[in-house]
Amino acid sequence: MKIAISLEENKGLESKASTIFGRCPHFMLIETDSMAFEIKENPARQATGGAGIQAAQFILDEGAQAVISGNLGPKAFSVLSAGGIAAYQHNGGSAQEVLKAQQTDTLECLIAPSADAHSGNK
Amino acid sequence: MVITIASGKGGTGKTTIAANLAYVIAEKHPQVTWLVDCDVEAPNAAIFLNPELSARKAVERQLPVINPYECTACGECVRACEYNALALAGGKVLFFKELCHACGSCTLICPEDAISETAEQVGMLEQGRSGNLRFAQGTLEVGFSSPTPVIRSLKKWVLPENRKGVFILDSSPGASCPVVETLRGSDFALFVTEPTPFGLHDLKVVVELNRKEFQLPAGIVINKSGEEDTLIEKHAQAQGLPVLMRIPLSRRLAEAYSSGKLLVKEEPALKEKITRLFKTIQGRTKEEAVWKRS
Repeated sequence: MKIAISLEENKGLESKASTIFGRCPHFMLIETDSMAFEIKENPARQATGGAGIQAAQFILDEGAQAVISGNLGPKAFSVLSAGGIAAYQHNGGSAQEVLKAQQTDTLECLIAPSADAHSGNK
Repeated sequence: MVITIASGKGGTGKTTIAANLAYVIAEKHPQVTWLVDCDVEAPNAAIFLNPELSARKAVERQLPVINPYECTACGECVRACEYNALALAGGKVLFFKELCHACGSCTLICPEDAISETAEQVGMLEQGRSGNLRFAQGTLEVGFSSPTPVIRSLKKWVLPENRKGVFILDSSPGASCPVVETLRGSDFALFVTEPTPFGLHDLKVVVELNRKEFQLPAGIVINKSGEEDTLIEKHAQAQGLPVLMRIPLSRRLAEAYSSGKLLVKEEPALKEKITRLFKTIQGRTKEEAVWKRS
């Protein structure tokens, strides 16, 4: 399964997972079977508006089937859920750590947005 | 002639100057002088003038409606949207109204003609008279974030193509889109400021906006003028902008203002000042016109 993780930095598996989604600097796209990954810049990072929507669209287009992020706003959430993508909320840690937590079923799967619109702007 | 009153900082006296200036001009040029309140997020110039409003017009924007039976989920509209108002997920196009700027790109680009448009009211325009003075204002609907379409419609509704008449446009504070939209196509920019660090700071921004975007002939009014005027004067001089008028900081004027009275009715000296101000503006716009032709 291909999973997208919102990241604060680009330092491989040790990268700190981001608390925000739409305007996080990078996304890790990782295949859980092979642990092969790539880190891509978030194209929505500097969007004037609708960053969450654009970031969610990016993840959909990259073919991910799940997302791990610290938070998820309402518009990003609706795009991801319409795309059938599960969203997991992490509680901090490196990409590797939050991925491990997801794999061992210790992360909460979001059934509603975890943050208000524009929370990542603050 | 179109004169826009701007300030940068709020509360410097834009509306006070606009209303008094329009009132004085209307005495000389009855029925062809307009005060147009372009501060559509909080129009309040009517308080000074108590106009009788006789005509109303709704401002609408066109929103896309996607026909799910025609849509093939090709994603062209999503890629065309500059504002991230559309997304393609689960084989369906999602539309986020709050982000839509009603630019119409999605409707135009759809190869299946699956997008039609529906009108949504975003504001209301009103016009009428207050004695010799004609008056118009726009009001943005509560809950909408973009005032520019309302300002654009208001100007289109009121300003004739030949520009015959005198139009005083009272802009909103700041130096962002609504102020740009109000200044666009004006003949003169009158900046109303106050001699405080805040007044100066925001004045600089709006002067810079005019210099970069429009290069309109411009001048400054120092309201609540007093000992600190040099603060503004220094900047005015550096920018080559004349200080065209000063209104002293006075308790009597403040009291008249706060009870909704026109200052020129309370203070004859101010009426003379404002008459001279208008003459100077007329002179400066003509100078500019000559200079532009040569």
